Amino acid sequence: GDVPVSPGYPPQQQSYGSPAMTNQQPMQQQAQFISPMGTPSTTYPQQQQQPYPQQQQQQQQQQQQQQQPAYNAYNQDPVNQMSSQFGNMNMGTPMASVTPAVPLLGARPQIADIGYTGPSIRLPPNISVTDSPHVNCDPSYQASTINAIPATETLLKKSKLPFALVLAPYRSLKEGDEPVPVVKDSVIARCRRCRTYINPFVTFVEGGQRWRCNMCFLLNDVPAAFDYDNQTQQPADRWKRPELNYGCVEFVAPTEYMVRPPQAPSYVFVIDVSYSAIQSGMLATAARTILDTLDRLPNAESRTRVGIITVDSAVHFYDLNSKLPEPRMLIVSDLDDIYLPQPTDLLANLTECMQTLKTLLEKLPDMFKDSVNVNNALGTGLQAAFKLLSPAGGKIICLQSTLPNTGTGALKPREDVKLLGTSKESTLLNAASPFYKSFAVDCSRSQVACDMIIFGGQYSDVATLSCVPHYTGGQTYYYPGFNASRTEDALKFGHEFSELLAEQVGLEAVIRIRASRGLRMSAFHGNFFIRSSDLLALPNVPRDQNYVVEVSMEDDLKVPTVCFQTALLHTSCTGERRIRVITMCLPVSDSISELYASANQQAITAYLGVKAVERGLSSKLDDARDAIVNKVVDILGVYKTHVLGSGPGSTPQLTAPDNLKLLPLFALGLIKHDGLRQSSQIPTDMRANAMNMLNTMPLQLLIPYLYANLYSLHNMPADAGEFSENGVIFPPALNLTSDNLEVHGCYLLENGQNIYLWVGRNVVPQLCADLFDVKTYEGLKGGKITLPVLDTPLNRKVNTLVGKLREMRRGNYYPTLYLVKEDGDPYLRLWFLAHLIEDRTDNIMSYQQFLQHIKDRVSKS
Amino acid sequence: MNFDEIEEQDGIRFSWNAWPSSRSEATKAVVPIACLYTPLKEREDFIETPIWYEPVTCKAPCRAILNPYCQIDVRGKIWICPFCLQRNALPPHYKDISNTNLPAELLPKYTTIEYNLNRVAQIPPIFLFVVDTCLEQDDLKALKESLIVSLSLLPEYAWVGLITFGTMTQVHELGFSDCPKSFVFRGTKDYAAKQIQEMLGLTNNPTRPAAQPSRPGQPPQMTMAANRFLLPVKDCEFVLTSILENLQRDPWPVANDKRPERCTGVAMSVAVGLLETTFPNTGARMMLFSGGAASEGPGMVVSNELREPIRSHHDIEKESAKHYKKATKFYEALAKRASQNGHTVDIFAGCLDQIGLLEMRSMVNNTGGFMILADSFNTAIFKQSFQRVFQKDSQGHLQMGFNATIDVQTTRELKVCGMIGHAVSANKKTAFVGETEIGIGNTSAWKMSSINHETTNAIYFEVVNQPSTPFQAGSRGLIQFVTHYQHSTGQFRLRVTTVARNFAEGQSPEITNSFDQETAAVLMSRIAVFKGEIDDGPDVLRWLDRMLIRLCQRFADYRKDDPHSFRLSENFSIYPQFMFHLRRSQFLQVFNNSPDETAFYRHTLNRENVDSSLIMIQPTLTSYSFDTPPQPVLLDSISIKPDAILLLDTFFHILIFHGETIAQWRKAGYQDQEGYENFKQLLEAPVLDAQDLLIDRFPVPRYIDCDQGGSQARFLLSKLNPSTTHTSGGPYSAAAGAVVLTDDVSLQVFMEHLKKLAVAGAS
Ligand SMILES: [Zn+2]
Ligand SMILES: [Zn+2]
Repeated sequence: GDVPVSPGYPPQQQSYGSPAMTNQQPMQQQAQFISPMGTPSTTYPQQQQQPYPQQQQQQQQQQQQQQQPAYNAYNQDPVNQMSSQFGNMNMGTPMASVTPAVPLLGARPQIADIGYTGPSIRLPPNISVTDSPHVNCDPSYQASTINAIPATETLLKKSKLPFALVLAPYRSLKEGDEPVPVVKDSVIARCRRCRTYINPFVTFVEGGQRWRCNMCFLLNDVPAAFDYDNQTQQPADRWKRPELNYGCVEFVAPTEYMVRPPQAPSYVFVIDVSYSAIQSGMLATAARTILDTLDRLPNAESRTRVGIITVDSAVHFYDLNSKLPEPRMLIVSDLDDIYLPQPTDLLANLTECMQTLKTLLEKLPDMFKDSVNVNNALGTGLQAAFKLLSPAGGKIICLQSTLPNTGTGALKPREDVKLLGTSKESTLLNAASPFYKSFAVDCSRSQVACDMIIFGGQYSDVATLSCVPHYTGGQTYYYPGFNASRTEDALKFGHEFSELLAEQVGLEAVIRIRASRGLRMSAFHGNFFIRSSDLLALPNVPRDQNYVVEVSMEDDLKVPTVCFQTALLHTSCTGERRIRVITMCLPVSDSISELYASANQQAITAYLGVKAVERGLSSKLDDARDAIVNKVVDILGVYKTHVLGSGPGSTPQLTAPDNLKLLPLFALGLIKHDGLRQSSQIPTDMRANAMNMLNTMPLQLLIPYLYANLYSLHNMPADAGEFSENGVIFPPALNLTSDNLEVHGCYLLENGQNIYLWVGRNVVPQLCADLFDVKTYEGLKGGKITLPVLDTPLNRKVNTLVGKLREMRRGNYYPTLYLVKEDGDPYLRLWFLAHLIEDRTDNIMSYQQFLQHIKDRVSKS
Repeated sequence: MNFDEIEEQDGIRFSWNAWPSSRSEATKAVVPIACLYTPLKEREDFIETPIWYEPVTCKAPCRAILNPYCQIDVRGKIWICPFCLQRNALPPHYKDISNTNLPAELLPKYTTIEYNLNRVAQIPPIFLFVVDTCLEQDDLKALKESLIVSLSLLPEYAWVGLITFGTMTQVHELGFSDCPKSFVFRGTKDYAAKQIQEMLGLTNNPTRPAAQPSRPGQPPQMTMAANRFLLPVKDCEFVLTSILENLQRDPWPVANDKRPERCTGVAMSVAVGLLETTFPNTGARMMLFSGGAASEGPGMVVSNELREPIRSHHDIEKESAKHYKKATKFYEALAKRASQNGHTVDIFAGCLDQIGLLEMRSMVNNTGGFMILADSFNTAIFKQSFQRVFQKDSQGHLQMGFNATIDVQTTRELKVCGMIGHAVSANKKTAFVGETEIGIGNTSAWKMSSINHETTNAIYFEVVNQPSTPFQAGSRGLIQFVTHYQHSTGQFRLRVTTVARNFAEGQSPEITNSFDQETAAVLMSRIAVFKGEIDDGPDVLRWLDRMLIRLCQRFADYRKDDPHSFRLSENFSIYPQFMFHLRRSQFLQVFNNSPDETAFYRHTLNRENVDSSLIMIQPTLTSYSFDTPPQPVLLDSISIKPDAILLLDTFFHILIFHGETIAQWRKAGYQDQEGYENFKQLLEAPVLDAQDLLIDRFPVPRYIDCDQGGSQARFLLSKLNPSTTHTSGGPYSAAAGAVVLTDDVSLQVFMEHLKKLAVAGAS
């Protein structure tokens, strides 16, 4: 088509529509929306007066945005907002026994509801000792797959619903988040028998002298301090105590909770300095980032200690003694039997050794710039770091560029492309050497954690190396093909590494989850080590890690409610021993309909993800995917048979309760995910990393990771990309299908890890100029980019959106921006299109095909 | 015959300067034909007019070198080799030879000559410091200062390296400029040489990506790798000085009931491994500075438990020294590797207690190293001795040779029995090797990793002529000593000494008169000490006695069974006295000393020349008094007089002893008063003489100033002939001297016994 010659475009008209399309009507699909009840977004406009017909859909979606809270999910406080809306509203109201059935086939999934964090918890009246709206914890800290608990195991089995808790107990606080209330007086009331912490769901008896435990019903004395403050010599108001008002509180622990003085934060960096680490610029970038982040490291009261170890075919220690004019390098090449070359100053007080450390970090890249050493003794280096840290505990931060090929724990390049996509692929996803796990277990015992940051030019065996973070409560980061000479690579790693270092982690922690009688924690998923049957040991608690705990029923429940209480005993970075207590009370129900109405599709998705990863590793990926599909078939089948009460084949429709209507979509997202997808093209390291992510991502990150957000940029609403009192306004999200991609369009797709700007081949040159400062489509270069900062509204808006995307979620991820041209680099193009999971991609079912498949299976059962 | 003149020219002294003509006659002479030879004896003429050509050698296999004893046919341009009697053509460039135009090597004054060969070592001498850091702060400071000073004493082209050790061993990479860098080895582990190379990155392992382009113009990889640890002084002085300045005490904590963990064994093993990999057969010395005994790992001398005392001579004798044999074996293995590669080990001990010198002695003794025993590194003994190691000749070159071999060739009547000195066998089993073995035998060549102008070796010979061979008057035997070494400048040199001595018939007075009793005493001492290293002490003493008696039986004048008739001629007269003092000396009476001291004393005896050795065997005593000028006096308790000052020189100690009265006067301060200038002069005289002695003595002796009755005086008393002991009523009255509290027999008693035994029923 022709290209407008005018340099400008109507300011009121935000769309960069192709002139050729002005008379075309976009596809309309809104007729198929069925209104779910129980959420405010019950009515979608069927038709509206359209001032400009070509903008009909956008207008409609704008309308949705105004009405539907789900669209505000990306404002500054989505979770709290949601939870307060869903959580408060139903306090004391009777349980809804039915939710509307949503027909699934033939319609696009209602992604408007994608941020829905689950049905409200419908508790009987006066169940808590205070009328605080926060007696149940926010689901971002702890969520259950079902918000009503079956009264009998038979019912649970019949329902086929998974029963699990999804926890992120130490999640970070974004701006605007409510801080966790702290009980500072060291008065910690706990049940004498079951050791439950006092919480809003206990009952006071005998005139308030004693409290009845809500887990085991034992009577306990109320501490005198609840009513009288010994310090101020004044009466105290027990009803104001946070632990009786909040489902998530933190106690400052008295000395009984310590076996030794609280651990000071200690960091030992284990940095690969072999040839590839130098050539890729990893060393230089890492050293620079550490240097720049030293002031941000947690260092309350100057207690923090730091050590540096570099590794090639030998292990290099650094004497950071502040009295030395410069750091001293001490090399141990005895890889069979590592030892510390001196007893002191290898792990030094950060404040004292600051100058020496800075000198070292400045020199490091130069010191190795001529290295031609291609060997790396990571295992030995880790043992060395362990020796430094094990007396007091701490954190190893490992930056690894080469496959460790010498010394303890040496690995071989074992990736075999012939195995990819076959049943043998799982062998590549399991650890190649027992060393890393057993090392991690040693670490866990000594309160040593390990973060593994892997840079892959070639095969790095992420599967094996990530064992160490897995069992020590650490984190794995993977930067495939890292090259610091690309600004985007350096920026992403630098940002994420810096955030990781600055993270206010918890130390020397244990997690124990207690539940009402009849319920038992039966399996645990996440990064930690199970010390005894139900005690999770975490030398390090990163801020935004997810844990999934399966619950089994041992007894029928003869009570109206049950409780779960997660206690995280830890040392804060500031040196305080603290216990974070997260309590959740859920109603007991004998109705399968109620169970279905209470099911949380996000939590179930997280559960399906970790179970699939477990299955994929222990068996094969086919089984993992089958398990997901089977579960969806089971759930929708039971729903059809036992909830809707219709016999097999009675209705041709496939329906789901409104609160589970996105479950098939999420399930499809899982089976199309890099971690689980049927493919012979996914490198093992990528696969292993994706599996780690599925295992550890909190819901807020997991959901977009499974179902990305797609926005149209060339025809954004006027207020999109602008700031409002609720934060940055996003354009309406589009379904993930190439049907939504117009050849003249420009789109932004993001999944929390990467941001893609898709540019259609017929895009108007003006847009290229306005957004990229490039005259024509042909002039655009695909790949990792940094968006220029231009004085055009479009560029400003997109920059605002990208900037917001990079900081709005929890976790340290800094998404890389890619420019993808519709007819550009085929690999990049396919990669982008793989995210459009509603389409048939990579020979895997489209969303509609998937639904049809499920329907067939449900009908047959 | 003037022994001194010969020694001046050839650096050699023989026990016998005329040789019995047959094996049996030679055996009857008791003291073997042997010499003390100082191959690098300083010769100013060699420095002033060096000889810059290659020697002319006899045909193979003889290879003897042209010398003044060769017959020359100046017209035929032919020379006849006196060793093999072959005729050799002189090389073409000798065409102008005539009886008045002879090359230097044919002139009589060049029976010893030094050729500068047409070869220069590629690598200048290497000095690898191996420094103990388990030291007291003051000691470490003093040592660091000495080491830093030594850098300025080294020629700037010399290469240096640094290894430090305590609980662990660190090899410092001097070629790394970004920051101080060292490789750390565990102190408890016995590293194989190959492991050490690998750990230091000295092997050509695949540590290099395949695609790495080679860098043109760079030295080969091996040299580059070594260059990281060993560098020319001029290139690394700054870095090394800075490392030394910042050198800290061993940081590992030491419990109250423990010794510091000191891994001397690993440190030396790493040093040996580093040098043998990087610079085999290159002049190099490892200078070990040790402040205590190795207490961990291989080569451990004592455990780190303080309640376990370090072994004594008694423990060793009773075989209850549990680490002794193992440690000795460990260091012997290192010594072997070092000597095979031409590398030297020096040990500088700075410790009041022992450091395990006895166990480590082979490293020094096999390689011609230096051994210094000081109480601390903060003493003059250490500081000055260490500086003297770097003495320079008049040209400013270090007075040390490296990687030397000494070859001995004899005419057919003689064979070589062996050598006693700081060397190892070169395993050269030539026709010159005799049947009898004395010292390091079964070879006619020896290796000395290091050698200097003082290095003196004892070489023993035997006569192999059968008595049946008719004696030809005027026949003589020849011995040629050929010493090949690397001068400190890197120049290879060849020192050739050819000696000729007459043969004489057994009973001929020529033989008797040719006896050099001083040299003989030293040669016998070396044998006794060599035996002492292997045999029991009493056995050695009995052997010495037997030899002395037999010598007296053979060469004294006496009537059978009449001790009073016993007379020794002048050139035998003091030999028994030497033997008397040798018997009492620290070389053989080890129990009064620590094993380390014994090792040190014996080491020193084996490197010094006749004069110095005699002082060690029989210290000199000089008396200073008002009546007479200073004069040597008998090493006897009768020499102690209240109004005399004695100056004792034991080589290792220089002691000034003030008689009772003198001491009182000195205490009263008369020397500072007017009118007592003569007293002041008297006090100063021995001090000035002592300073003279101290000037070039190596190692610097311990200096003791004491008074009669003072505790330090025991040093003197232990050396004196106890002619007036508490038990002796003696022919000399006690009033004549001081009473020495000892059970030893006096020289007088010893002589009585000797006479009695010598004259009794001769064998
Ligand atoms: Zn209880
Ligand atoms: Zn010849």
